[in-house]
Amino acid sequence: MNRRTFFKLSWGTVGLAALVSAIGVSLAAVVRFLMPSVFYEPPQAFKIGTPGDFAFGAPQFLVEEKIYVFHDRDKGFSVASAVCTHLGCTVAHFQSDEKFHCPCHGSVFAADGSVQHGPAPRALDWFEVTLARDGQLRVDKNKVVPPTYRLMV
Amino acid sequence: MNLLQEIWQSIVRRDSLSTDKGKSELVFLNVWLHIHPAKVKKENMKFRHSFYLGFITFFLFLILITTGIALMCYYRPYPPQAYQDMKDLQFVVFMGPFLRNMHRWAAHGMVVCVFLHMCRVFYTGSYKKPRQFNWVIGVFLLLLTLGLSFTGYLLPWDQLAYWAITVGTNIGSYAPLIGGQVRELLLGGHSVGEAALLRFYVLHVAVLPSLVILLTIVHFWRVRKDGGLSRPVWKLKPERETLVTIGAPAEAAPLTVKASTTKTYGLMEVVTGKPIFETVSAEEEEDTVFSFPYAFVREAVTLMATVTTIMVMSLFLNAPLEELANPAKTPNPAKAPWYFLGLQELVSHSALLGGVVAPALMVLARRPRDRKWVLWLFTIFVVANLVLIVIGTFFRGPGWALVPPWVHVVGGAE
Repeated sequence: MNRRTFFKLSWGTVGLAALVSAIGVSLAAVVRFLMPSVFYEPPQAFKIGTPGDFAFGAPQFLVEEKIYVFHDRDKGFSVASAVCTHLGCTVAHFQSDEKFHCPCHGSVFAADGSVQHGPAPRALDWFEVTLARDGQLRVDKNKVVPPTYRLMV
Repeated sequence: MNLLQEIWQSIVRRDSLSTDKGKSELVFLNVWLHIHPAKVKKENMKFRHSFYLGFITFFLFLILITTGIALMCYYRPYPPQAYQDMKDLQFVVFMGPFLRNMHRWAAHGMVVCVFLHMCRVFYTGSYKKPRQFNWVIGVFLLLLTLGLSFTGYLLPWDQLAYWAITVGTNIGSYAPLIGGQVRELLLGGHSVGEAALLRFYVLHVAVLPSLVILLTIVHFWRVRKDGGLSRPVWKLKPERETLVTIGAPAEAAPLTVKASTTKTYGLMEVVTGKPIFETVSAEEEEDTVFSFPYAFVREAVTLMATVTTIMVMSLFLNAPLEELANPAKTPNPAKAPWYFLGLQELVSHSALLGGVVAPALMVLARRPRDRKWVLWLFTIFVVANLVLIVIGTFFRGPGWALVPPWVHVVGGAE
């Protein structure tokens, strides 16, 4: 390899590497740019009120948060997601059969959230509910818990 | 007077028509005449040959651009103002409903015509060599058309829009590996919200139209360069031996370039031997006619017919507008836009089938050797999709139960 070929090859390699990395970095930057750093959405963790706000028996549906809050006299609090795992429609809880019914494609979820019927691929999520310092109930949608999870107040 | 003449001369820069140079420049210097071939085959101009579906699609796109720009003057892509603006367009803006109707029906028409155009190209075997590249461009144009329609669907920000996009983007998230991430990137969040509306708006009015315009230019150019529209085999006449070649004749000595022997030159537009593209076969005189006026007149009539049809439709059929989008209340049933209802129907039975298997089949179904199989595959796909769309549109009631359209369900299960 003579001097000329050596420099041709090395400059070529450097140039190609620079080009590829420039394109790569640019693409990565574009993707990162499109991922919002701040979400102007309802927070994933929020307070829903004091335990006294929730009556025993029928679950309370919180519209904004899309959750069902169950308050059982003996076992305590549990919070279920109202978002169908199939295509994201809001499920309705029927008091008559104590099941969740999705209006979109007829998925039916049992009282513990498991799929009983329809195209839903997995059970409804249950979220962690804790008691905050100020005595309010705090739900964290980032923390999915088993359906047996209960908060006794 | 002299000034007027000078202005005219600056627009029409050709010589007087009394000269041969002026006559040829009439075509060369006019962009509309220039993008057409000088002559077109009689066979290709017959309506039954192509049903002019490509042109109709293009003219619908022109309607969409003009009405779309008009609608932009009264629209703010931000909830809930977006919905208020729709109400204004419906009840306050002069000619607002008419423009919105035109935009709506032209959009639906474009999806239909792109699809029919594709069927025509497929069944006539026009995707075959040398038109494979243009077929691929066409597939991208189909995807872009669906993308434009889908992003536009959200903009009214009513219940119909909100839930169609919620369901539609969730169907997309069933795509393996990246489906979920792509959905979040598209929505700019975890659910359909203000970020999603703005992103869909940007895609709808800037990104996707630019791409469509770009690819349309390539598409049209390639139609010409690939030899115009395809013709049935039995219409093809044996090419005469005399080929008119542009550039150096084949038998001539190769073009010699005196240059340094240690450097390599890349010369464009210098051709040795037979040129690649413009090998013009000596076309029989009786088979072709001049583009102007024969093709032009047909295009103009098609344009007028397309615009008239959309205008008449817009006088009598109103684009739907439901109540303000309400994330808490899912309408029952909630349906994706009609062209995705085939997919939704599949997803309603099995997420794997609709989200993975069906789209994958579409992409992977490569042509087997026997064209009969391909024709059957394509036909089955088209018919199945149509049947599923009809079922999804007309036969699905509350809870996605099978309800015939003539049965009226009072207050379905909420």
